[in-house]
Amino acid sequence: MSSPFSINGGACVAMVGKDCVAIACDLRLGLQSLTVSNNFPKIFPYGDVYLGLTGLATDVATVSDLLRYKVNLYRLREERAISPQTLANLVSSSLYERRFGPFFVSPVIAGINHTTGKPFICGFDSIGCIDFAKDFIVSGTASDQLFGTCEGLWEPDLAPEDLFETISQALLNAVDRDALSGWGAHVYIIEKDKVTKRLLKGRQD
Amino acid sequence: MDTLVAQYSRPLFENEGSSQEEQLELIQTLPPLSLKFALPPIAQPSAFLRATTDDHSNPDCPIKIAHGTTTLAFRFKGGIIVATDSRATAGNWIASQTVKKVIEINNCLLGTMAGGAAGTMCAGVTPQEGPALYYIDSDGTRLAGNLFCVGSGQTFAYGVLDAEYSYDLEDEAALELGRRSILAATHRDAYSGGFINLYHVKEDGWVKHGFSDTNPIFWKTKLDKGEFSNVTSELD
Amino acid sequence: MPGFDFSNHARNAALHAQGFPLPKATSTGTTIVGCIFDGGVVIAADTRATSGPIVADKNCEKLHYISPQIWCAGAGTAADTEFTTALISSQLELHALSTGRNPRVVTCMTMLKQHLFQHQGHIGAYLVVAGVDPTGVGLFTVHAHGSTDKLPYVTMGSGSLAAMSVFETQWKSNIDREGAIKLAADAIQAGIFNDLGSGSNVDVCVITKEKTTLMRNYIRPNERERKQRSYVFKRGTTAVLREKVVERVDIGKYVTVHEVPLEAEGEKMEVDA
Repeated sequence: MSSPFSINGGACVAMVGKDCVAIACDLRLGLQSLTVSNNFPKIFPYGDVYLGLTGLATDVATVSDLLRYKVNLYRLREERAISPQTLANLVSSSLYERRFGPFFVSPVIAGINHTTGKPFICGFDSIGCIDFAKDFIVSGTASDQLFGTCEGLWEPDLAPEDLFETISQALLNAVDRDALSGWGAHVYIIEKDKVTKRLLKGRQD
Repeated sequence: MDTLVAQYSRPLFENEGSSQEEQLELIQTLPPLSLKFALPPIAQPSAFLRATTDDHSNPDCPIKIAHGTTTLAFRFKGGIIVATDSRATAGNWIASQTVKKVIEINNCLLGTMAGGAAGTMCAGVTPQEGPALYYIDSDGTRLAGNLFCVGSGQTFAYGVLDAEYSYDLEDEAALELGRRSILAATHRDAYSGGFINLYHVKEDGWVKHGFSDTNPIFWKTKLDKGEFSNVTSELD
Repeated sequence: MPGFDFSNHARNAALHAQGFPLPKATSTGTTIVGCIFDGGVVIAADTRATSGPIVADKNCEKLHYISPQIWCAGAGTAADTEFTTALISSQLELHALSTGRNPRVVTCMTMLKQHLFQHQGHIGAYLVVAGVDPTGVGLFTVHAHGSTDKLPYVTMGSGSLAAMSVFETQWKSNIDREGAIKLAADAIQAGIFNDLGSGSNVDVCVITKEKTTLMRNYIRPNERERKQRSYVFKRGTTAVLREKVVERVDIGKYVTVHEVPLEAEGEKMEVDA
């Protein structure tokens, strides 16, 4: 029997560039071999911090809603936008709270800290252990493939335009080797004063 | 010198063809007492096969068969269309996108492959039968028929094929129907994809109609003909 | 005590009963060691985090802060070592504040073992606790089921055998600070090179009565070679169907709460006369 992480399929990746970060996901929602939807984005914006969620689709929806609620409350209480680092700790403690009944999700965070101006990415396991990485974070059913493409393609200090090509090619070529991911992709390039969102033309098989 | 060479070399065609024993076995008209199937030395071969190859009931099975496939073949007035995808998967891993799932048996006989318990199809023209199409599977089923789809993507292919099929299709329309049915299956079935392998079996043998990537075909079908409107091209 | 939320437990247990496997947690395959010396204690760790056969993090931190003079090295389930040490660190700080004394290593060790024993091994944290307090130098190991040890040199994790082989052949009593650091770092390197669950760099933390020194990436024996060529794609390689640019000023102050105009045209509320 397949794992709850690979019933619906999906992939997500985040990368650091020079004064910018990128986060990308595929668009497939499936039920085992059957592709149910080609428009199921797995990246959720919380202000200008972005959260990618792969895994069991019902938990992707639940966790994204739960965090939207928590981030909204944070904004109202603190009267300021949440920083990527704070969101990382919020996600981590929310997941560890369910240590013995976890959500089947593998979250990824990407954003720029507006106090320090520094790019930030991180990833988590399903019980909230944070993986702070300086280069890239991968998650989803194509994570093995993404590790390969990212290790091969990523390099330090990529400009936003080059980071877009690198993350897009890393994702598209990884999902083309995974039966449960693909069917198009969303890519966000996050810079200090703007965010560019693109819909990629990916293979539809 | 010549004698030396002759001493150490054998006649050129010595090993060609069947041996004396093999020829005897072939012309023997009465079946021998033993049917001589190569059976594994265990009590229940079918259970053994399932235990070693069926990763659905036993994910740790030692032999992983690539299951995902869509193959189809149908008879029409112009002969037989045979079409397949080209993806091979091992679990969720796409092992290959360029598998040849049509076997060219001879100039007028074709076979198709689908892994594991799924069946295979045999299409060909014989002087006795004319254009003939059979479905065969590992249980021993052998069916003659006009239209078959086999594999994990069979339902999606049937959907398109049944809606548009007619025995009186022209050659071009029949080829397009075969191609479109495989395309539909590669789109919805995660374990089918890659290239469309298309054949037309005619009175005087089969003709190959390409081994073409689904990607440009899909976008042409969507953007030019307005089909696959489920695939989004909008950003919100 | 943490308030764990079990609301998904029944669903996940049902899923597990249907044959779905349990989720793969990040684990610190790990080599961690500790060694006391004249006037202090040193702990060290490798920096590899794994998820099954995959190296999830090549440079993670396994040395956890408890109090300025008490630190922990963690092996086992990464999330458990992280949160258990954070929890005890918090409780120990409150304890220190309420007693007005510096926290003791035995206190930390006791709180850890009681917490872990209460959870019957389900919290998979395997820890080396080290520090200096008013009673002197302390070095302990704490296992996930709650058992503890007090020894002059200790190793834990999947690389503990490789690391222990170094201690058993090279350790001597009355070792000095530099000797202890060298010995601990060598033990970690034995784990890095001989245990598949351990790898990358050596982190070291030295605690003496005077001060604590954290030496992050003290030795980096596995530096990655620079790529021999650049793999940057030509701009425009990726086919894009749609593009949308949002300026930062337009990103709403609120995440999803949108301002609604008070009196939108033609949407005035009907009021009975």
